[in-house]
Amino acid sequence: MHIVVGVKWVPNTQAVRFDPHTGTLIREGVPSIVNPHDLHAVELALKLRERYGGRVTAVTMAPPGAVKGLEHIIGMGVDDAVLLSDRKYAGADTLATSYVIASAIKRMGDVDLIVFGQETIDSSTAHVPAQVASWLEAPYIYYVEEVEAIEDNRIRVRRRLEDLVEWYELEMPAVIAVLMHSQKPRPVRLIHKLRAVLEKPVETWSNEILRLDERCVGLKGSPTVVTKITWMPEVPRKQKIFKGEPKEAVNWLIRRLEEEKILPTCGADKCGEGD
Amino acid sequence: MQGLNRRFEVIVVGAGPAGLSAAYILAKKGFHVVLLERGRGVGSKQVFGGRVYSSLLERVFGSLGDAPIHRWVRRERLSIINGERMLTVEYISGGKYSFTTYLGQLASWMAGKAVEAGAIIVDEVRVDRILVEDNSVVGVESGGDTLKADVVVDAEGANRLLLEELGLVEKPRPSDMALGVKEVIKLGEEKIDERFGLRSGEGAAWILAGSVSAYTPGGGFIYTNKDSVSIGVVVSLESGGLVEEPYRLVESMRLNPLLKDIWREGDIIEYSAHLVPERSVRLIPSKLALNNFLVVGDAAGLLLNTGYTIRGVDYAAYSGYLAANAIVEAEEKYGSYSEEVLRRLYEERLKRSMVFRDIARHKAVEMIWENPTMIKQYAALLLDTLGGLYELGESTPSLRETFKNARRKNKVSLIRVMADLVHGVMKA
Amino acid sequence: MTSIGDKPLRVDDLLQRNVWDVDHRPHITVDTEKCRLCEAKPCITTCPAGCYILAGNKVVFSYEGCLECGACRLICPYNAVKWSYPLSGKGVQYRFS
Repeated sequence: MHIVVGVKWVPNTQAVRFDPHTGTLIREGVPSIVNPHDLHAVELALKLRERYGGRVTAVTMAPPGAVKGLEHIIGMGVDDAVLLSDRKYAGADTLATSYVIASAIKRMGDVDLIVFGQETIDSSTAHVPAQVASWLEAPYIYYVEEVEAIEDNRIRVRRRLEDLVEWYELEMPAVIAVLMHSQKPRPVRLIHKLRAVLEKPVETWSNEILRLDERCVGLKGSPTVVTKITWMPEVPRKQKIFKGEPKEAVNWLIRRLEEEKILPTCGADKCGEGD
Repeated sequence: MQGLNRRFEVIVVGAGPAGLSAAYILAKKGFHVVLLERGRGVGSKQVFGGRVYSSLLERVFGSLGDAPIHRWVRRERLSIINGERMLTVEYISGGKYSFTTYLGQLASWMAGKAVEAGAIIVDEVRVDRILVEDNSVVGVESGGDTLKADVVVDAEGANRLLLEELGLVEKPRPSDMALGVKEVIKLGEEKIDERFGLRSGEGAAWILAGSVSAYTPGGGFIYTNKDSVSIGVVVSLESGGLVEEPYRLVESMRLNPLLKDIWREGDIIEYSAHLVPERSVRLIPSKLALNNFLVVGDAAGLLLNTGYTIRGVDYAAYSGYLAANAIVEAEEKYGSYSEEVLRRLYEERLKRSMVFRDIARHKAVEMIWENPTMIKQYAALLLDTLGGLYELGESTPSLRETFKNARRKNKVSLIRVMADLVHGVMKA
Repeated sequence: MTSIGDKPLRVDDLLQRNVWDVDHRPHITVDTEKCRLCEAKPCITTCPAGCYILAGNKVVFSYEGCLECGACRLICPYNAVKWSYPLSGKGVQYRFS
């Protein structure tokens, strides 16, 4: 089974601070990391390779610095990696990004399964997996926590929702997005990381190689425009504990909410009456 | 996987100043050397006070022309603080002896040199064990993977998990170690120049004793980086642990009324902590080499805290340099990395060096500086004396009178003062 | 640039200034059963990251804000701290130290 795992090289958002005076994000000195949710996709891909054989290729569209992230993943045991990197790809929204990734996967040719993380910590759109599936005209399931290979080049996937578990059967090639926190990503190993440093298994594909229409990639190929970013300052929470019967508690709560002008005054005492 | 068949002659554990210096020299001499580092990239786990002495570093790396030097230390300050009073001695130096930097940046610079010379650096890999077969070190183990080499250099730092596991050292007593905590406050280059009275590119190094660290043994430090200030406290761990949480100590130093205006409008951009080998003499392993194995840097206990300055980075680099040269010579002359050969070529030379002799020499000063009641008493004595001289009402007392009054107030006899002075000078 | 103000910051606010990549596996574990025997509990006041807190009379440990200094390992009188460094380069990521 040839599995491609798509990852994103993201700023470590935990370290990004907001400057309330200028209304901008302070990104100075903020290192990038592999999107943590993507490590769960890597883990599932590696588990599948162990179970069914084959190889795992990581792919990302990013500036050259992302080689560090791909080496981290190779350190976990991924076989090889492709960095899609070209100035022409800069400024891409999810549509243009997914187009480049899907094109790279088409170029690889022999791919059976494409695995993504559920979403990214720096934008959380969860668009890219679905869009890649669309470009490839492949079936797509998200919130996946387990995959089994079955006969006739098909897989059975287990998908966990809040209150139920579903099983789907998909024909490969297929695209899945792995439920966040559903795996236990393995640590980087000495022998794998040594290979990442010595053998340099990361290939870089620029647009010289992919030869995509420049109108469809990067800023030019991106219909989405981010017009403004605002910050939600942390609101200090108020805490009060009321002990008593549920009915009294409801009346008490409504009165408090009226006092705080969160509810319009409506004669709260009556609300608890009747039923 | 032809790369993995590559055989390494030397494995260095830890990409700090000691390990990087060793790897650099070895690679330059044509050795196949791999350096294993637990952090992400080089420097992401490194903490020091803020100042590096340049002379030994130049011996290892040659010119420091392209090194990430923030400021050359020109102003040396030493202060005793007692409540709202402070006595400061300032020395303005004419030469370039030490500079400030971020250790992570300096380590990255060293790593660049080592890689350029041909060393392989593998990061994100934690070494769990030194592998021993037939009484000889044969390699290292990490997460179940083994990597073998002819010789291993242990530059693991102040927490000597590998050396303890190997049985070469015991877990240190808390009282032999100090804990350093540090805040880096971004302030801007011009403000630093203004507030410390510095010209562009010049730096200040400032050691503080007294109430700044709540009289716990140790003291405070302030270093000026390019556009930030590093402030912190170093406190001896003592057997019962710290009396006050270290983050409270460093925060009360930051907010000390005598100091806080220096970094007014600044922003804390990092908060870090690191163990400091305080009583180095007791921490130096009984042997610095085994068969195919050498210990360098903090792991070897090579740090000097005189009370008026702390030296570690250049010692570490120099020990790595000596270890590398010993390996080269052992290979060329003896074709052997036996304990005997390595101890002769490394340990004996290190022990004959100024680095080692200074560490042994300064132990008396450490002891005095670490004595909290003495610091508290003398701080009060000095400041009461000066207060008597400068804070004048109607009368103008003489130095003799104010000193006598201060001694009475602080219950210090003249004989005690003389004895301590003589003791201190002799031992220093 | 934001000003830090005139009040001491809580340890959590200080730790928030750093960059973290926290592993899901704890690199340090504490046998808190042993802590019940410990009267002094020096870890509480020694840890520079406030990783050890008292809940009633119990020691509660969390590894997430660990600065990897190693003080707790030395200070614990009951050898209750199983101490190591994080794997895969995770944990605190210093930039200016």
